Amino acid sequence: MLEQLIELMNRLNVNMLNWLPEAASTYAPAIDEVFYIIYIITGLAFLLVTVVMFWCLLRFKARPGRRARYSHGNVALELIWTIVPTIVFLGIFFYSQSTWSIIKYPSEFPESSVQVRVVAKQFAWEFHYPGPDGEFDTEDDKMFDGDMVVPVNQVVGLTLRGSDVIHSFFVPEFRLKQDILPRRDIPAWFNATKTGRFETPCAELCGPGHSGMKGWVNVYSDAEYQAWVAEQWPAPVDTGVEEMGQEDMPQGGVDPMDQEDSGQADTAQ
Amino acid sequence: MSESSAATHAGHHREGFVKHYFFSLDHKMIGRQFLFTGLFMLVIGGLLAMMVRWQLGYPEEPLPFMGGFSEDFWDGESWWAQTAPFGIVTSEFYNTLFTMHATIMIFFVVMPIMIGGFGNFLVPICIGAKDMAFPTLNMLSYWTFVPGVLLMLLSFFVPGGAAGGGWTSYAPLAAVPDYAGVEGHWGVTLWCISLFIIGFSSLMGSINYITTIINMRAPGMRLFRMPLTIWSLFIVAILLLLALPVLTSALAMMVFDRLFGTNFFIPDGGGEPLLWQHLFWFFGHPEVYVLVLPAMGVTSDVLSTFARKPIFGYRAMVYSMCAIAFLSWVVWGHHMFQSGMDPVLGTAFTLTTMLIAVPSAIKTFNWLGTLWGSSIRFTTAMWFALGFVSLFTIGGLSGIFMASTPVDIFIHDTYYIVAHIHYVVAGIIFGIFAGLYFWFPKMFGRMMSETLGKLHFLLTFVFFNLTFFPMHFLGVGGHMRRIYNPEQYEFLQPWQEMNTFITMMALCLGASQIFFAINFIGSLIWGRRAEDNPWEANTLEWDAPSPPPHGNFLEDPVVYRGAYEYSSPEVEEDWLPQSVYLEPAVAGEEGHD
Amino acid sequence: MAEDMSATVTLEPALEEVESEVRPQGPPPFFPEPPGGSGGDDRFGDDDDHAGPPLSNAYLGLLIFLGAETMFFAGLIGSFLVFRVAHEVWPPAMLPRLPVGVTGVNTLILLASALTMRRAKIAIRSGGQRELVRMLLVTAGLGITFLLVQGYEWLRLLQYGLTLASGVYGATFYVLVGCHAVHVLGAVIWLVSVLWWAARRRYTARGSAGVALCAMYWYYVVALWPILYGLVYLY
Ligand code: HEM
Ligand SMILES: [Cu+2]
Ligand SMILES: [Cu+2]
Repeated sequence: MLEQLIELMNRLNVNMLNWLPEAASTYAPAIDEVFYIIYIITGLAFLLVTVVMFWCLLRFKARPGRRARYSHGNVALELIWTIVPTIVFLGIFFYSQSTWSIIKYPSEFPESSVQVRVVAKQFAWEFHYPGPDGEFDTEDDKMFDGDMVVPVNQVVGLTLRGSDVIHSFFVPEFRLKQDILPRRDIPAWFNATKTGRFETPCAELCGPGHSGMKGWVNVYSDAEYQAWVAEQWPAPVDTGVEEMGQEDMPQGGVDPMDQEDSGQADTAQ
Repeated sequence: MSESSAATHAGHHREGFVKHYFFSLDHKMIGRQFLFTGLFMLVIGGLLAMMVRWQLGYPEEPLPFMGGFSEDFWDGESWWAQTAPFGIVTSEFYNTLFTMHATIMIFFVVMPIMIGGFGNFLVPICIGAKDMAFPTLNMLSYWTFVPGVLLMLLSFFVPGGAAGGGWTSYAPLAAVPDYAGVEGHWGVTLWCISLFIIGFSSLMGSINYITTIINMRAPGMRLFRMPLTIWSLFIVAILLLLALPVLTSALAMMVFDRLFGTNFFIPDGGGEPLLWQHLFWFFGHPEVYVLVLPAMGVTSDVLSTFARKPIFGYRAMVYSMCAIAFLSWVVWGHHMFQSGMDPVLGTAFTLTTMLIAVPSAIKTFNWLGTLWGSSIRFTTAMWFALGFVSLFTIGGLSGIFMASTPVDIFIHDTYYIVAHIHYVVAGIIFGIFAGLYFWFPKMFGRMMSETLGKLHFLLTFVFFNLTFFPMHFLGVGGHMRRIYNPEQYEFLQPWQEMNTFITMMALCLGASQIFFAINFIGSLIWGRRAEDNPWEANTLEWDAPSPPPHGNFLEDPVVYRGAYEYSSPEVEEDWLPQSVYLEPAVAGEEGHD
Repeated sequence: MAEDMSATVTLEPALEEVESEVRPQGPPPFFPEPPGGSGGDDRFGDDDDHAGPPLSNAYLGLLIFLGAETMFFAGLIGSFLVFRVAHEVWPPAMLPRLPVGVTGVNTLILLASALTMRRAKIAIRSGGQRELVRMLLVTAGLGITFLLVQGYEWLRLLQYGLTLASGVYGATFYVLVGCHAVHVLGAVIWLVSVLWWAARRRYTARGSAGVALCAMYWYYVVALWPILYGLVYLY
């Protein structure tokens, strides 16, 4: 049903939502769907109001000898246009809610297999990786200026950390946006469904350099990603993206695999 | 002095020039003072907007008309050469431009014109009072407002320039001078102090409006006989009374953070940046309804008058305004969905936001109901009122998208928001124009030109939509708001043409206002003298002479009916003023009580 | 109604009750006396000797103003609570505790001033101009005492190192208590001006609105304090 409608709108070339950036994360299509539904509902409401209004303007122009109808209202009608919008709006609320909670409720976050800390500062992004030991703030951490690398089709857990003012991490193709507060860690996640290089602007005014504060998310295929990891952490670590069950503590993108690094003991449960 | 203004109401007593035009206690003169100040600031705010648009349409190209300056000038130390070297808007100046544009439009244009101007002019006269409850306080309210205006304008010229943290001044960017990246901390500080001052001005106004409406209605003017404009101003006065002090307290804390080393909003010292946002939007959302409710009231009055038909569902209109006023206290969090606030709260705020959309919908449908079966006189005021209705429809509907939390993830802080804001807040300017074309004869005793007026409407309406509708597209494309140069982003490259188009349309929109200026000023001087009731309207202000003298009415009015008795079967004419007494016999058997 | 309208029957008024509200019938004009609207010569109402409507303009205006004051303090108190709730340990380590005892006594002083204010009001209602002056003097004295004690405590706290910059603890303390002190100061100034007029026998048994208004503001400022004391000093 929704698809046909979208199809129709496309054919009529009235589909504003064609302008959406391509959807490249698991939840992007879910957001777009809510977008579409509201678009259609509000579009119909807009048409209704406009048509009625134009009709009135054409039909009820003052003419000599005709008097306006002397009426103060109509309770039945007014009840209708109170109750119908209420139901529609509540419907939109419930419909939105499920998508919202999946994306933003920390309690409903999926398990992530790659963990990245995003540090925002005037006016650049830093992407921190925990390294083979899977823990932040250890020796093997690595920081990348402005470029993040993640594997496709895997849940990436983000820790958004601010340092000076408020910034906002925005990846248009993922439909991900989250403000970043100084001295606070805010969790977020995404699961990219397409490989490619996506721009990540800062979306919250953060000073004179706000415009141009941007970075990139590079979504690699599995093989590319592993190669990249091997290149970044060249130690004889048998890197590889974890496929087995992960512990429920923050996970590194690179599985320690209980090898040679002595720091492993405490990660394993 | 209160006795004197009461005693001399009938005769237009002679005052000195200064007393008459500057320190007048007459609510109508104070209303005009607010109106002119607001219109002046509209010009300033508009010019700032043009500069913002220029930079977006033609990034980092010199502003127009810069060729006239010599090399020496640009090498010099003058303010302009420093602020916009070679006529090019710098990113610091750009931030200042959009911050001041929004601040000025909201606090120094819409509020003074709607509440200070129309409010002062109309509240007493529409309820049949001779003046406000506290005329001196009223005068003080204007003269407190003026320093606020001057301070805000002055702040452009202090070291570091005017505030550049957005009209929302989020902390810590605005709370810590160092983060602003300019030398000198004065911009945001003056911004705070200026808003602090006009908070007092507004407080005096609110006290006056509420007291006047409660205590000074003419005999027979029951609350439910008041015109909807007065209802809206009444509700707005209450909203402002309760909302602005919260902003005032937040501004005080912000100033302390900036100047005296406190850490309310600065996390490095243990403060909480989200607290600022909560306080700001706790004020801010009622504030947006403060802006729009009077426009709704004016639109209702103008629509009903020129539709020659009673307003559809008068009580429902009043109750939905009350509902909006109540609900507007519990929706502020919808501005903070992505702010790092607990997402569960986001859910709660979506629910309340969906609810507040209902009364807005009711009002729109009631306007349509008013038009249905009417007999429309297409005056300029009517066109602008119709324009407001259609723009508000779009603005209200676009609000639903943002009220839906998942969609807001994407469109928050994009041009979609900018489109929404302008459909509602800049749409309010249509309400202002409707009111001006409608009440100009009463305010100034002369008629405005209808031909020029309709031309003004047509151009404004067309260019408005061509400017702001495409911003929805930019937003859907992911174009962030408040960015200096869209060309810095690869994914925005395809949008640059659209940006240029919007800029051209915006320039045309600005230029179209020349017709208004010509009409307004020309009509002040050469306009045809207005009769007392040129529009054949019902409300009390049309009983008074145009313009009304000191004390407003030649005879104390008594009110016999509601404000919207158009096309009543009781009389032959299609209007029936509130103050006209009908013998029961004339009323016929239709009567029921 | 015009004939050509029959196509639009849907919008016929279904219920007439709206109209009945809008169009009452018959002479003499049936209207409720607008409250305060016909107050004789004093339609502008800033005359102190207003008699008549339940709430004179001045009284109503002051009440409205107090609404705004309440929201101002609500903003500050709300901010205080945000910080207070976020901290288990309060006052935070290394910062001095507040002088609960002295301020408690000071609270009693302020509360007493409300009583004397009340007696002043009662006195003038029965024409006791002398008693009015005396009671106003006592009230002003108590108010000033309160301010002096507060000021002294501030000085001592500053010596102990509690400043505006002492984290949110210092900031909320000084701003919240300071804003209240400014209001007390304002109330004292108003009170002194009333006192000045009272000494000139401006107020009479029937014309005591000036005293009543000032008293209302005084009560407000006094009543606010125990709340602040409870929150800032005890909680
Ligand atoms: C149908 C009713 C409305 C709904 C559902 C609605 C909803 C919203 C929402 C959810 C936002 C926040 C979006 C975001 O920042 O992500 C917003 C922003 C805004 N709204 Fe509305 N709105 C409505 C009506 C109005 C009206 C009547 C006005 C003004 C007169 C208004 C003025 C604004 C302004 C100025 C902003 C932007 C504030 C900023 O970030 O600078 N809205 N609206
Ligand atoms: Cu940033
Ligand atoms: Cu809002």
